[in-house]
Formats: sequence, structure tokens, C-alpha cells
Amino acid sequence: MSNAARFVKSLFLFELWQGLGVTLRHFLFVRKVTLQYPEEKAPISPRFRGLHALRRYPNGEERCIACKLCEVVCPALAITIESEQRADGTRRTTRYDIDLTKCIFCGFCEESCPVDSIVETHIYEYHGEQRGDLYMTKDKLLAVGDKYEAEIAAARGHDARYR
Amino acid sequence: MALWQWLVDQYQSWQPVSGYLVHIVAITIPLFVCVAYLTLAERKIIGAMQVRMGPTRVGWKGLLQPWADMFKLMFKEIIIPSGSNKILFLIAPILSLAPAMAAWAVVPLDATTVLADVNAGLLYVLAVTSIGVYGVIIAGWASNSKYALLGALRSSAQIVSYEIAMGFALVGVLIAAGSMNLGDIIIAQAGNHGPFNWFWLPLLPLFVIYFISGVAETNRAPFDVAEGESEIVAGFHVEYSGMAFAVFFLAEYANMILISVLAAVMFLGGWLSPLQGWVSDATLATPYIGWILDDGFHWLLAKISIFLFLYLWFRATFPRYRYDQIMRLGWKVFIPITIVWIIVVGGMVLGHVGPWWDHPG
Amino acid sequence: MSDLLNIEINGRPLQVKPGTMVIEAADDAGIVIPRFCYHRKLSIAANCRMCLVEVEKAPKAVPACATPVTEGMKVFTKSSKAIEGQKSVMEFLLINHPLDCPICDQGGECELQDLAMGFGKDVSRYHENKRVVREKNLGALIATDMTRCIHCTRCVRFGREIAGIMELGASGRGEHMEIETYMENAVGSELSGNVIDLCPVGALTSKPYRYSGRPWENNSISAISPHDCVGSNLAVEVRRNRVMRVLPYENESINEVWLADRDRFSYTALYAEDRLQQPMIKQGETWRTVDWETALSYAVEGLQRVKTANGAEQLGALVSPTATLEELYLIQKLLRGLGSNNIDHRLRQQDFSDQEIAPAYPHLGQAIADVENLQAALLIGSYTRKDQPLLAHRLRKAAKRGAKISAVNSIDYDFNLRLAQNRVVHPYVMPTELAAIAKALAQQTKQTVPSALQGFIEKAQVDAAHQQIATDLREATSSSLFIGSQVMTQPNLALIRALANVIATLSNSTLGYLPEGGNATGAWLAGAIPHRGPGATAISGAGKTAAQMVQDGLRGLLLWQIEPEFDCADPAKAMQQIGAADFVVAASSYITDTMRSYADVLLPITPYTETPGTFVNIEGRWQSFSASVKPMGEARPGWKVLRVLGNFFKQIGFNYLSSEEVRGELDTLTVNVAADTRSDIQQSPAELVRPDLVRIGHVPMYAVDAMTRRAPPLQHTADAVTAMVAINAATATRLGLQGKSRVNVKQNGQSVSLPIYIEAAVPDNCAFIPVAVPGCEALGQSYGAVELQGE
Repeated sequence: MSNAARFVKSLFLFELWQGLGVTLRHFLFVRKVTLQYPEEKAPISPRFRGLHALRRYPNGEERCIACKLCEVVCPALAITIESEQRADGTRRTTRYDIDLTKCIFCGFCEESCPVDSIVETHIYEYHGEQRGDLYMTKDKLLAVGDKYEAEIAAARGHDARYR
Repeated sequence: MALWQWLVDQYQSWQPVSGYLVHIVAITIPLFVCVAYLTLAERKIIGAMQVRMGPTRVGWKGLLQPWADMFKLMFKEIIIPSGSNKILFLIAPILSLAPAMAAWAVVPLDATTVLADVNAGLLYVLAVTSIGVYGVIIAGWASNSKYALLGALRSSAQIVSYEIAMGFALVGVLIAAGSMNLGDIIIAQAGNHGPFNWFWLPLLPLFVIYFISGVAETNRAPFDVAEGESEIVAGFHVEYSGMAFAVFFLAEYANMILISVLAAVMFLGGWLSPLQGWVSDATLATPYIGWILDDGFHWLLAKISIFLFLYLWFRATFPRYRYDQIMRLGWKVFIPITIVWIIVVGGMVLGHVGPWWDHPG
Repeated sequence: MSDLLNIEINGRPLQVKPGTMVIEAADDAGIVIPRFCYHRKLSIAANCRMCLVEVEKAPKAVPACATPVTEGMKVFTKSSKAIEGQKSVMEFLLINHPLDCPICDQGGECELQDLAMGFGKDVSRYHENKRVVREKNLGALIATDMTRCIHCTRCVRFGREIAGIMELGASGRGEHMEIETYMENAVGSELSGNVIDLCPVGALTSKPYRYSGRPWENNSISAISPHDCVGSNLAVEVRRNRVMRVLPYENESINEVWLADRDRFSYTALYAEDRLQQPMIKQGETWRTVDWETALSYAVEGLQRVKTANGAEQLGALVSPTATLEELYLIQKLLRGLGSNNIDHRLRQQDFSDQEIAPAYPHLGQAIADVENLQAALLIGSYTRKDQPLLAHRLRKAAKRGAKISAVNSIDYDFNLRLAQNRVVHPYVMPTELAAIAKALAQQTKQTVPSALQGFIEKAQVDAAHQQIATDLREATSSSLFIGSQVMTQPNLALIRALANVIATLSNSTLGYLPEGGNATGAWLAGAIPHRGPGATAISGAGKTAAQMVQDGLRGLLLWQIEPEFDCADPAKAMQQIGAADFVVAASSYITDTMRSYADVLLPITPYTETPGTFVNIEGRWQSFSASVKPMGEARPGWKVLRVLGNFFKQIGFNYLSSEEVRGELDTLTVNVAADTRSDIQQSPAELVRPDLVRIGHVPMYAVDAMTRRAPPLQHTADAVTAMVAINAATATRLGLQGKSRVNVKQNGQSVSLPIYIEAAVPDNCAFIPVAVPGCEALGQSYGAVELQGE
């Protein structure tokens, strides 16, 4: 572009007008895409990463074997695990806490779990009335897992062939 | 009826103070409502430009949203930071809102309606709006916060810089109109050539500079470095909450409206109809249609709306200026251009260039 | 040097000594060769084949660990041939290795896991079932998952070469090979924990640590072991302010890469239920938990009251030899500041008659690392293997190199080395035995013995064994005598020490002491002895020794980290006298019912993991460490407690800001102290009258201090001795106790019923009754006369 053309362009704010054109076009002609949330909801992928849950095997035995991979992979240091040998000789957690106020929902814990125990469910509508309510203990996580096991299993099944 | 009678009695016994009071209230209350709905308009318009809907929940299409915001802000606690100067901290928001309101005293809303028909109206406007910068400086200093202080420094430096360019732009208008009375300035733009009688055409560079300076003056995007979120959080009002914050908010939007109305008065002929001289007197005498086509407050309102829309449009479009670029623009571009154009305007006035100055006045 | 060989590894020219293996040359040069079975402290087995490398002109890849270097050798560790070999070996190893890393305790510190990342394949070509191996029970310390074993045989070689007892062995061949114990035994070596470190996979892991953590979570903080005078370097692994486990911290000059089980597993006592976590005071008969200020003022008030009423000489302190140098120094400074010299750490010692001529501090006479170069040694009353396991390892190394090591003991101990001469004698006859050796030496060297001892030595009967010991010591270019922990508690210590001095002088040997506790040497240096101040300075008016304090009783006592019913030479007397004292301040990490009965104030002080401090080992090496974790509950580091106590007593010079400051002050006081081990004998110590039956009261290795006594895993091993009586068959017949299962043991008017065993290792007219174990608290002196009556 010649200097003269550039001078003219910058003098008459050519690019600014272009920019204003873009916004005006969107203002006038583009359909608004806002979802009216409680009535309308966006579709959710089977890989959606929401509230965490600890799963059990069909026989009721908890899956978690306290390998602590989720704890070490967690970039937000949100997971705290303590473990010991249970009376039957198996390796089990005595404490499995996820601090949801620290969690960034990256899904690494789920990715690292060798037994598909810690999972992130599709649940994203939850709240806590006190600060401690968002500190998920092992009992709470297992309860979530028990309640939504069918949906969790379905989502995993959906995604199984890509894994 | 007894109460009404009593009120009328009081009104008359306290003249002329009571008269002014009623006038002031009659101007400020609608102004506040305008400000409130300007915030809603901003959210709606910018939302639309970003392919969103904006507020939709409170009232039909979100029309009650400003009231919800207002009630929320009213019931929030005003937190006064420890180590702050409490008195200055509370005076600062008032100091920034009051000038924006006071300037309306000299704005002619109609051919006859003006609160104070001051001869030095333009000077008054310049003087009063300059006081607003004190609110900013005091707020920044009284907060006892480095972000607030830095924000205050930035915005006051910016306001002061652009006031020069703005002042020169007004000097151009002054020369063109030959009066400092805003009503006279409007009348100077009357004629038979529709909008071409207005000053925007001969003073086009000054008009553009005036409005851009106005945007910078009100610390609006793209000149909102004063509250640059990524750098200094929210600028001078970072420590303010509740109604104290709301007052700053009101001041900002009231200033926007003020800049818009002044631009309309000085460059777009204020309440003059854009069809002046093109419509026959007979048509003007027709009920309803004539009233709409004739000069009047509704034309001023429409012109203000255009400027306000520009404000919002700019905000949705332009990324924020770098601070040194703002200063460069103000000092090295705008001020030279205004000085040159003042000389040009002087030449045009002396040369009786039509259709503005071809009849000796 | 001309006798170095020139070789090349990966194109890098190196000069190495002949006889070096390729893997050693590579390790020295920082070139990594993968390995499983090779370990530099063990013999070469070359059975894992992971270290295959390519050597120029060799037709196939050779194992680097078993290939000696030759002149001009060109080795390639990263060539395609080498890598292919290593990958193939890895594939074979992984055929049967289970994929249970997530539940394996080795996960994260597993050599197989690490190398599988580099050399393993993503997918196995083998679809057959994996091998499963039956679990073995190796006792309370080592957990097994033998399915994971890759047959590197490091553990087998460790038992044979380092621990000295063949406990683990391999049976079967090929896929059927299994590592097993002989006849379903638990592993009993005092060094057995090291196989946990050695095992490259998760087949052998720590039982107390089982499933409780991951290596990446732990912070490693170095510390020093308080349990024996070797001063092993520890790596205390800490997670979230809790000690998770203890590992060896490599130090070639002290513990090499090893660690005794006592040092490794004693941490389990840190979280015992009876940890004292709050200061407590006794008001009337009830105990009240109070804050530190109240407890310390109460203690100061009580001791001041005793001092005002009875004089400062009625104040005394009994301190544990496992206390830190700083604590020991501050206790003596505090007590001497109050005007009393009654301070002692030699709690189990009974004979103090030669303390004035004793050397400045007990010293080994040589560096620990030099012990393995000895050519002859004589152990006097020392079960080194259990008392100082890692020193015993050095002695064993010396013995394997041909050193002639003899022992004079009162029990026929099970040494893990071949003794040249093993003399088992009645403890009261031990001086005569030493006199015989001295006499043989005098005859051989034609030198005279000191006149004070001449009469005693002349009386001794010399036999061939004595002559042989004398010859061994005399002919060796480096030889040493060791006065062991056991003999140091005998009532004839002075005589034994005098004779040991004579033998050392005549045979030109060094003389070394092996005192009890981790910091006995430090205690002498710090002045925690009644007759000398810090830095072995002379003081006026020696205070009472531990034995005198127990015998005479004091009105006001400070007990530091001790349990008198276990730690004192005469527990019955000690309990009686301490109970009779007017005011007792007990500073301890643990609280017991007996403490509640005798103490007036209980001050919670921290064990070694929670305090900074210094231990001086028997080489005289000052080893300082920092606190690994924060103190538990309200417990506080001992030096801080003493510092504040000093301030409460309004003594000057107690405004220390750090434990380093305390150490520095003592450091300047001890610069001129010489590490001499000889005593200057002026007069012959008295001989003892032999009673009919004498007690041999040894301290079992897992009862040496309050911490080890509370470590559950250690208490479940074979070395954890419970209260019992052992006599030999002849003595049993003489006393008519054959066939009895329990006897009444009478000592000092007290009677205790204990099980009895016939044990050939005990000499005639002796009864082995351990001390410091529950059930023996009521008994008296550990080497006193004892009566047995059948039930």
C-alpha cells in the first residue's frame, strides 16, 4: 500500500469505520443466541465435567484403591487422600476430599483414575449454603455416585469407544 | 383539596425560590430516569452487538432492571476503607455528580424553556464541568489505595488534557455564533437550509474533536484507561461500594448525557428541526404533524439519543487505547487541529461564508 | 597412573582400574545403564540381564555388571543392539509381573516402573495367564507381594553378605523360582528393613508404612538416629506434618546405605497413644492439664521450695543419653546454676569408681569406617550385632577380610561373623579372663604390667585361647578392643576397664567404647555428668552419680526423657526413692501411670523428629539436624523448655534465640577436648564377691529407650525380649529347676513370677533376666545376686 493511501486511510479512520460496521451489522441483523437458562439448556456432552462422584462396583464395593494418582495430577491441589490397609487386606482410602472451591474442573483426576472410580458427572447445578458445603468428603462423593450411577455409567459407555 | 391549596399557597409565598426549585426538580428527576435507562440501553445495545440479549428477566424485556440495580445498590453497605479520609471519601462522589447536574441550568430545552438564560452560558458550562475532575482526584486520594490513586491520576490527567481541545472546539462555536448564550448559539444555526444551517458542517473538524474529547472527558471506552481492569482494577472508585459507588455511576452517565446535549446544541442546532425552511408554514400549522415537524424539544431529544448511541457503539467496537496514545492524540493531534480550524472559522466569519454568515448579524 | 586401562563408553574415553566392571566405570562417569540385580554394595549376580550393553568385537550383548573392563574396550550402552537387548529383557520381566502398580506401595519409587517407561512396550505379546506366587509371612516389618518378584536376588544376597544370616533363599527354577524363608520363619535380622530399600519392585515393602502413602507426597528431611551411638543418618519422610517413614540417608563414613531396623521403624512410636501433649501439674491427688506458663512456674516454685528447705545439693537430674546435646548442656547449666552438681546420664551404670580417671568422653578410638580395616579385635561384653548393628556390620566386613575377632562375653551371643576365640564367662569372672589375656601378652612381649594390677594379673590362669587372643591382637597391624554397652552396666566395670587398658597398651591396640544411647558421648562433652563440667573441665565438689542419686534419694528431681522403672540400673530402688522425693519434674514425650504416681509436674517435650538438635556419635562427630515436623499438641522442643525454665529461675545466660546458639556456646567450650580413650590406672579397682546365682541383666535391643519400647512393629519381632529367666541346664539341675515352666525370682526382697527357659548360651551360676522390659520393673540391680524358686 502506498504511503499516500495509508495516510488517507488513517486520516479518515477507515479501519475504525470498518469496525463500527461490524458491530452495527451484528446489532441490526444477527440473530441473538442467548439461551434463556432455566427454561432452555445447552446440550451436554457425555464428556461434560461437572460435580465429582466416587463410583462403586455393582457388588457395592467402592472402586477407589487409594493409588493417589488423582491427588498428584490435580493441578489445583484440590484433592486430599489418606489411606491405609483395610481389615480385609485391601488398599483403601480413609479420607478422600475434594475441595470444590479449589477445583478447576480440568478432569485430570478422572483421566488418571485406573479404576474409573473418581468421575465428573454431568451435574452442574449444585450449590452450598456454607463454605464447608463445597468441601466434598468421601461420603458425599460416594452418595453422589450412588445416586447417579446409571447416568454416569451411560455417559462412560457412550464415550468408551473413543478411549 | 386543602392540601393542594396549601401547597399552591406555599409555592406562591416562597417565589421565586420555590419556582426555581420546582424547575430544578423537573429537570433532574427525568434526568435521573434517563440515566437509569441509559444503563439498561447500554446493556441491551452492547448485548445485541455481541449477539446477546442483555437483561431480560426483570420486568417485560428487562425494563425494570435499572430499578432492581438501584434497590440493590441502595441496600448495599458503604464500606469505608481503614486509613481513608472519611469526609473527603464521602464528598468525592457528590463533587463529581453535582457539576454534571448543575450544567443543565443553562441548557435550553426549547425555544423558551431554559432554567437560567445566562449570557455567559458557554463559559459557565466549561467552568462547572471542570469541577468534576476534583471528585475524581479526591476519591482516588481519599481511598488510601494505590489502585485508586493511580486511577485518579490517570483520569484527571486525561480530563485536563482533553479539556483544552474541547475548549478550543467551543471557541470555534463561539466565533461562529458570536454569543456565549446557548440559546443564541442555537438561534444562530436557524435558517432555511435544513441541517445545513447548523454548525456541524463548517465546524466539522471541531465537531468530531469535540465529541471524541467528550468521550475521553467522560472516561468512556475506548478512553477508559482510568478504570483499566487489567491494570488498576477499577481505577479511582475501586474502594467505593453501595450508594457511594452508585453516585459515581450516575455522574458518569449524567456527564455522557451532558456532553451529548451540548454537542447537539452547539453543532446540531439543539431543538431546531432538521426540516427548517423546507416545510411550509401551512404544514407547520397542521395539528400533530406540524408539531412534530416544527422545532421543539423532541428534536433535541432525538439528537441526544444519536450521540448516546454513538457512545455505546464505540464502547462495543473499539479496544482500549494505550495511555501514551491517548495523551499523544489529545496534545499532538487534536489541539493543533482545533487551533488551525479556529483560524479557518475566523476567516469564514469575516468572509461571510453562506449560508451561515452571509447575513450581517 | 600407568596401571589404568583405557576404555571408551559411548565414545567417551575413560581411564579405569583393572578389575572394574563396565557398569561401575559407567556409574562413575555418570553414564546410566539400566539394572535390577546389580547393587554396588552386593556381590554380582548378573541374573536380571537388564544391563546388557554392546561391546565392540563381542558377538552378542554382554551384561555390564559382570563384564570386567579390558584395555581398549569400546562399550556402547545406547546402540541399537544394546537397546534391543534391554527391551527384550524388559519384555521377559514383564511377562509375569502383575499390572497392579496402582495398589503397589513401590509405585512411584519402583525401578521396574521407571525402566518400563523407558524400555517397556505398550502392549504385551503374551496372552497366557500371569504367574501367581503364594504370599510369605516375613514378620512384622516386611510386607510381601511375591507375585511381583523379578528374581533379582538382591534380598538373598543381602542376607548372605550383609546381614550375615541366610534367611531368604531362592527355590525352584525358571518360572517356578520363588524367594522364600527357610521353614516359614520370620526374617529376624536386625538389618532386615534394608531389603525393603533393596527390592527394585514391590515384592518386599514396609509393613508399618503399608498402603499409607506415596513417595512423591513425602518431604525428606535429614535427621540423626538417637537409638545407638553410631549416629546413623536418617531421611525422615514427612507428609502434612506427620512422619510417614524413615529411610537411610547415605553416608559412607557412618551407615553407608544401610539402616538398622531400630532406627528405621522406631518412628511408629511417635504417634503412640500415650504421647504427652499437654503440660500437667498434680494438685493434691488429681492431675490438671494446664498451660506452659502455669506448669513452668509450678515446677520452678516446687524446686525452689526444695532448695530453700534442703539446700541445692538435694536437687538432681537424671537425663536420658538419647537427649540432644543442647538439652544436656542446658540441663547441666540450669542445675549447676542452682548450685547442684547432681546430674547424670549413665542411668544403667553401676560402677563409677574410676570416673575421675576416665577419658574426656567415651570414644571409639578410630573412625567408624576404619573398623572394617581392623585385623584383630576383642569385644568385651558387647553384643555389637544387636547393640550397634551398623558397627557390627563394619566388624563383619573386617572379619570377612580375615580379621581375627574375639569376644569375651557373659552370654554366648549369636554373632553373624566367625569369632576367632569366643570366651563365655560368668560376668564376675570377666576381669580374670581379661587378666589372663593381659598376662599372656606380658609374657609374649616381655613387658611389665602396671604395678597396681600386677597382683591381680599374676593370679590369672592362661590357656591356649588367651594366648591366641593375645597373639592375634599383638601381631595385627591394626587392632582394637571394644568395651561394649553390656559390660558398661556391670558392677566391675572399673576393673574391666583397667585391664582393657593394660591389654590395649601391651598389644598396641586402640581402645574403643560403645556406650548406650545415641548421645552418651555428647552427654560427657556437655557436662551431663556429676564430676566434670562442659568440655571436661574440672569442677569443685563432684555431685552424685546416677547410682548414688538412686541409692541415697534426693528431695527434688528433674527426670528428662526417662522412665526410671526401665532405664535405671536398680529399678526397684529408683522407683522407691523417686516416689519418696518431695518434688519431681518429669519432662517426657510419653506419659505413663507410674509417672502420674511419682511426678508433680509433667512437661511434654518432643522426640528427636520434632526438635532441632545435635548428637555426637562415638567417633566424636557432631551431627546436627533440624526438626522434621512441628511439635505434636502442646509439646515443645526440650531446649526451648529449658531456656524458659532458666529464665523463670532468673538465671543469666539463658536468652538463646536458637538451638544453634546453644550448640555454638558449647562448641567454644569443647575446642580443646582431646579424644583420648585411655585411663591412667593408679590403684587396683576392687574385685567383686561372687554370689551363688548372679543375674545377667542385659537390655534387649528393642527396649533401649522410651521410643523403641513403644514401636509396635519392633515389639512384634523375635528380638523383642519379654520378661523371662534363662539358665543353663547344669545350673537348673543344681537349683532343682529342671522341668519347671515358671519360677519366682527374688531380688532385694522383691519377688516376681517369670517363665523360665533352659538356654545353653548362659554360663554356669548365672540367670539371664532382661531389664527394661515390662515385668521386671520390681527387680533390682541388673548384675546383682538373685534367687530362683520353682513354683
